Amino acid sequence: MATKKSEEFDQVDWNEISRSGRFDLSINSIGMLVTTLPLVLLAVYDWQFLGERTPTFQFVGVDRGLESVDFFFIFTLLLAFWFLVLPLYQNPRMTRYYWKEFKQNRPAVVSLVWLGVVFVGGIVGPIVMDPPQQELLIAYQPPVFTSVVDTTPATCVGEVMNGRCYGTWEHPLGTTNAGKDVFTMIVYGMTISMQIAFITTTIVATIGISFGTLSAYAGGWVDEIMMRFVDIILSFPTFLMFLLILYIYGGGLGMFIVVFSLFAWGGTARYVRSKSLSISEEEFIKSSRISGASTYHVIRGHVVPNVASSIITQLTLLIPGFLLFEAQLAFLGIGDSTVPSWGQLISAGRSDLSFAPWIVLAPGIVLFLTILAFNFLGDALLDALNPEAEAENT
Amino acid sequence: MIVSLKFFVYAFVAWCMSSRDMEDGDDPRHVNRRQWLSALGLAGAVTLAGCSGNGGGGGGGDGNDTDDGSDGGDATTQQDVYATASAASFTTLNPIYNTENGAGNAIARTLDQGYTFDENNEYVPLLYDMSTEDGEVWTFEVREGLEFSDPYGEVTASDFVYLIQEVHQSSWANSAATTSWQGVTVEETGEYEFEATLESPSLLWPESYDPLLYPIPQELLEPYVEEEDTEGLQEDEELLELQFAGNLGPYVLDEWQRDAGTRYSRNDDYYLQDVDELPDVFNDAPYFEEAEIRVIEEEASRLGALETGEVDSAAIPPEQVESYQNSEEIYVNRIPQPYNEKISVNMRDNGWNTGPGNMFRHTPFRQAMAAAIDKEGLIQGVFRDFAETHFTWQPRFSEFYPPEEEIPQFGVGENYGSEVARGLAEEAFAESEYDYGFDGDAMVNPDGDQIQLDIYHSAGQDTEQLMADFIAQELGENLGIDVTVEAIDGTRFNNEYWTTSDFPTPETNDEGEVTEVPDELVDTVNGEEVEWTAPTSTNPGPRNVTTSQDWDMSVVFGLNTYPRNPITNNAFFDGPTAFYNPVGYYPGFDAESLFEQAQAATSQEELADALVELFANLAEEQPYIMLAFPDSTVGYREGLEGPIENFSNGWNLPAWRYE
Amino acid sequence: MGFGRYVTARVLWAGVVSLVITTITFLLLSAAPNPDVQQAATQAALQGGNPAEATERVRELRGLDQPLYVRYFDFIRGVYTLDWGWSESRSQPVLEAVGSALYYTAQYSIPWTILTIILGPLVGVYSAANMYSWKDHAATGFAFFGYAIPNFFFGIILLLVFGVWLQFIPVTYNTDVAVFSVENAVQLTIPVFVLVTGSIGAVMRVSRNESAEFQNADFMKTAKAKGVSPLRAYAYHVMRPTLVPLSTTLVGQLLALFLGSSLLVEVVFAIPGLGRLTYKALIAQDTNLVLGTTLFFTFVAVVGNLLEDIVFTVLDPRISYDDR
Repeated sequence: MATKKSEEFDQVDWNEISRSGRFDLSINSIGMLVTTLPLVLLAVYDWQFLGERTPTFQFVGVDRGLESVDFFFIFTLLLAFWFLVLPLYQNPRMTRYYWKEFKQNRPAVVSLVWLGVVFVGGIVGPIVMDPPQQELLIAYQPPVFTSVVDTTPATCVGEVMNGRCYGTWEHPLGTTNAGKDVFTMIVYGMTISMQIAFITTTIVATIGISFGTLSAYAGGWVDEIMMRFVDIILSFPTFLMFLLILYIYGGGLGMFIVVFSLFAWGGTARYVRSKSLSISEEEFIKSSRISGASTYHVIRGHVVPNVASSIITQLTLLIPGFLLFEAQLAFLGIGDSTVPSWGQLISAGRSDLSFAPWIVLAPGIVLFLTILAFNFLGDALLDALNPEAEAENT
Repeated sequence: MIVSLKFFVYAFVAWCMSSRDMEDGDDPRHVNRRQWLSALGLAGAVTLAGCSGNGGGGGGGDGNDTDDGSDGGDATTQQDVYATASAASFTTLNPIYNTENGAGNAIARTLDQGYTFDENNEYVPLLYDMSTEDGEVWTFEVREGLEFSDPYGEVTASDFVYLIQEVHQSSWANSAATTSWQGVTVEETGEYEFEATLESPSLLWPESYDPLLYPIPQELLEPYVEEEDTEGLQEDEELLELQFAGNLGPYVLDEWQRDAGTRYSRNDDYYLQDVDELPDVFNDAPYFEEAEIRVIEEEASRLGALETGEVDSAAIPPEQVESYQNSEEIYVNRIPQPYNEKISVNMRDNGWNTGPGNMFRHTPFRQAMAAAIDKEGLIQGVFRDFAETHFTWQPRFSEFYPPEEEIPQFGVGENYGSEVARGLAEEAFAESEYDYGFDGDAMVNPDGDQIQLDIYHSAGQDTEQLMADFIAQELGENLGIDVTVEAIDGTRFNNEYWTTSDFPTPETNDEGEVTEVPDELVDTVNGEEVEWTAPTSTNPGPRNVTTSQDWDMSVVFGLNTYPRNPITNNAFFDGPTAFYNPVGYYPGFDAESLFEQAQAATSQEELADALVELFANLAEEQPYIMLAFPDSTVGYREGLEGPIENFSNGWNLPAWRYE
Repeated sequence: MGFGRYVTARVLWAGVVSLVITTITFLLLSAAPNPDVQQAATQAALQGGNPAEATERVRELRGLDQPLYVRYFDFIRGVYTLDWGWSESRSQPVLEAVGSALYYTAQYSIPWTILTIILGPLVGVYSAANMYSWKDHAATGFAFFGYAIPNFFFGIILLLVFGVWLQFIPVTYNTDVAVFSVENAVQLTIPVFVLVTGSIGAVMRVSRNESAEFQNADFMKTAKAKGVSPLRAYAYHVMRPTLVPLSTTLVGQLLALFLGSSLLVEVVFAIPGLGRLTYKALIAQDTNLVLGTTLFFTFVAVVGNLLEDIVFTVLDPRISYDDR
């Protein structure tokens, strides 16, 4: 469709540059649409035709229900696949380059592996493992290789020697005050953490990036109004508001995700804006504008990629923030206590800390490691994606 | 842990009620607000530990210390101060408005009430002695030598009479004791004597705690009474800071830091020192130079404070009792309590949301549920054996507990198990007009779908959650019911599920007599037409009047069973129109006349006869599915003398000391 | 538009923001059922009265029978004349409650903020200057540790170790000690330590990453070439531009921590500060106090953002007021 009309170097054929019209769909978008469709159909089926408690997949004999959070989660997974993983595959050269940069950072590689474990565990775990069952008689079993005074567990599953109860492989991380297996609960908690991470990040990134770049680029009174709006969002005592909403209306995991992501994008938007403000002062942006690039093209082609590194730093900071928030709410006892999150487990075990520390330590450490991994990962990505900072270093 | 108080400050606020109510726990026959509150009380029984745990000392443990010198030179500063830990801070220390257990203990350090009960459950006069001939006219003799702080002078009968008539019986003040004095005629008969005449005789009036008064100076009240200034009275500095207490309490309140607790110093003039009829230990009471109640919300921190000696007593959760029993510095008392753990099953129209009809309404079905739950397993698993099985609406230590052979004992021995439970359920199905049944292991509704029920517990209350999970498993295994466990905020459950403020009211004429009862307040119970002439938020009408949210089962609230004055239980079971009947229970026996019999009893035997019959019937009917009476387990520092393993624990607190 | 006018405009705007948030809070609360009304109905029922009438009486007394807008204007008037009412759950005026809580919050948050603001950027820039050295790794490791470990989890564990096992610090917070005393310093050490480790990580990270860009910038090469001392070069040419994007993160981070983590730290260490006050007001459904604390936090957040904006423009002269 590009008609070669001009050979002058200061004239640019924007149609050609952007490869296709704005409405011409890439393979990624097509894939996205094709996979989203069945999901939507399933959601509608679940919502309209099934009773509240009938498992979604009863029609194929699987006794597992999906809730609205699960649908959103799958949607964001699809999004991540089509627009993050697939492009990496489509551009093998860049991928190899990123990977080369990335793997120099060993902690980041370890982090990636850990997050991979959490991710896979969170998706596969609940399918292959039974939900943790209450068995009061085996409450407070110590983790394997450790022992506690025999008075702590209700009855000891493992060996009792010298008045101490030893842990067994049956419960590698011990059990809670309800006799639930801590390891199983941690695996179930992975699902929750991944859901929080993916869904909130998607929402925050979408709103924050579009808002921030638009505001920066538009400038003038539009910018003014948009930033004033961000002011309000930022000034909002979100945590407080959430407590308020929870106490007045009640709410579960879905409510948590929605409220927090709707109030959390302010920082991202501001950050993106200040970044892109600096970038739009750069010469190459001016030159593209002079050359007649459309607003859309400038933002999409120059501003967004150039703020990407900042956004990634920002988002990697945000995800663990959400995980922390959830844990904090659970700690205060106002989370949804039926959601088997790590925070919930920490809160359940914290009064037993002095004599059964594993109930708090195991999920606490897993939470800690996950947050740590997100940070290392973000850091490494920044280095890998920001050749400028790195070039001089070598 | 027993009560995760930390999370549930509100729980304490609502649940732990007026101090003595919770401490000793019983109440009277007119339902009054304090009772109502303490009835509600309770998520807690369990909570109790935490509640009363204000001190952790079940019921306010407080003590004193020896005068420090005496004990072996090693008198540390800790021995000069009697410190307890409170799980929740206090809403108000204004004695006229306090309804909390914890604050009641804080007030009790500075201000005695009229009387108490000792370890043998005997009446002990403090500020006044009550006596009666016939149970109708009661004479109050105020002790001489009681002094308010300057400028209020001596405590006389007129202070009490003024308080009752102008505040408690007024229409504007809304004091905590308002309902206690409804219908009582009070008259001053001397400088130190007044008389109260009841509407109907009650031999157990003192046991109801209704006639329990704080001394408040008349001059202090007068300005507010003239203005009818409720807010002013609530916010009065002198009342809030207890500055008028004179020699009326063992300690003087030095400071109330809203979040940190209260600090006191010894009251050298404490009037009980000069009272002869009490044990000699009171002559030097109190035994500590200072006292403190510290607000420590974290359970782990409270226990830590007990271990390090920062406080002298704290409630211990059952799973840790054993390890503290092995400690050399701490001993653990096990105090039986009258607060129960039970499943409330919703017999109203918004209950049983799993099919047509409502199986909860059939007695055999409730029996089946009781038989399906292993009470001993529950007690062992959840309460680590620190609880008693609960078969009827009285704890075993009550003198009105029916003989064992007269009551069915569901959930233990041969009355426990799948077979018994299913047999009873089949009976219920036969009674029902709908076609419920068993399909293999599963209990199914007429459509053939498995029965699915919800059970609610307070979010953040570990014990409750364990219990709810246990119940869900047992009902699943033994009755084939699919139970979903849901956590809910206690306040929210109370406001939207348990009670309602939106209910039909009968029409009244100018004198307040009911002239017409709307149709929705009339129902046929056991073939008789019953009118709800005085619906309440806790019994808003017949089963068709419901709260705003649907629910099936709940363990959110435990209730008081009132062992000292069991007639008080009429609040729960006095017919379908009983004051407190959120579940819509219609007794299948003539509960009203049994309560009447008990009320009219002129001798202890008559009273016992009526009550035993009542409790045998309740054991049969299981209006709530009764499970357990958890004990309160409290740790004290070794050497502290005074705590007893009895429900009167704390009555002689000023005399507590280190040996 | 000059700097002065810019500041004035921003201050006015801050007022508008606080009004918006106050309004939203009011709407949220007025949508909730009022526990007082419910209680009155119950009370009336208990006394054999008419619950409907009692409900009406309380509604009248509390002004709930008036139209929403009248209540709203009354409410706004009360807010801005500092008539914040009586806290039912604590039996004291709301202002007094907020004041006394602030006293305790300030005792740990001032040292915490100062330490974070000073140490964070310093270590960050230092880390960037020594990028990929063991010092950088150590600093980064510490930052990550502090950032990643949940504050309340860390706090409980430190309390267990130092309070219960080693008995170095008291298990419960003592409000009786003087502000400037050894005891107070001892009991505040762990909370401040926990908070600083929590907040410093983010600040360090951002300053490290930002300054990494600047230290390779041409102006740094020029400075080095001209023989400017490294210290001076870093202070003027790396630190300052680093602070621009940092300031946006910093204020937000600190505020979030102030609201969230300080609440948890206060709960864990039993410090009767603002966070705990707010939390308890919410569960006790003490409407006046909830409003009071919400308003207070809102004002803090609004003023924080205002300062951030002003600092932003002062630090980065490239951004002119006229453009905004």
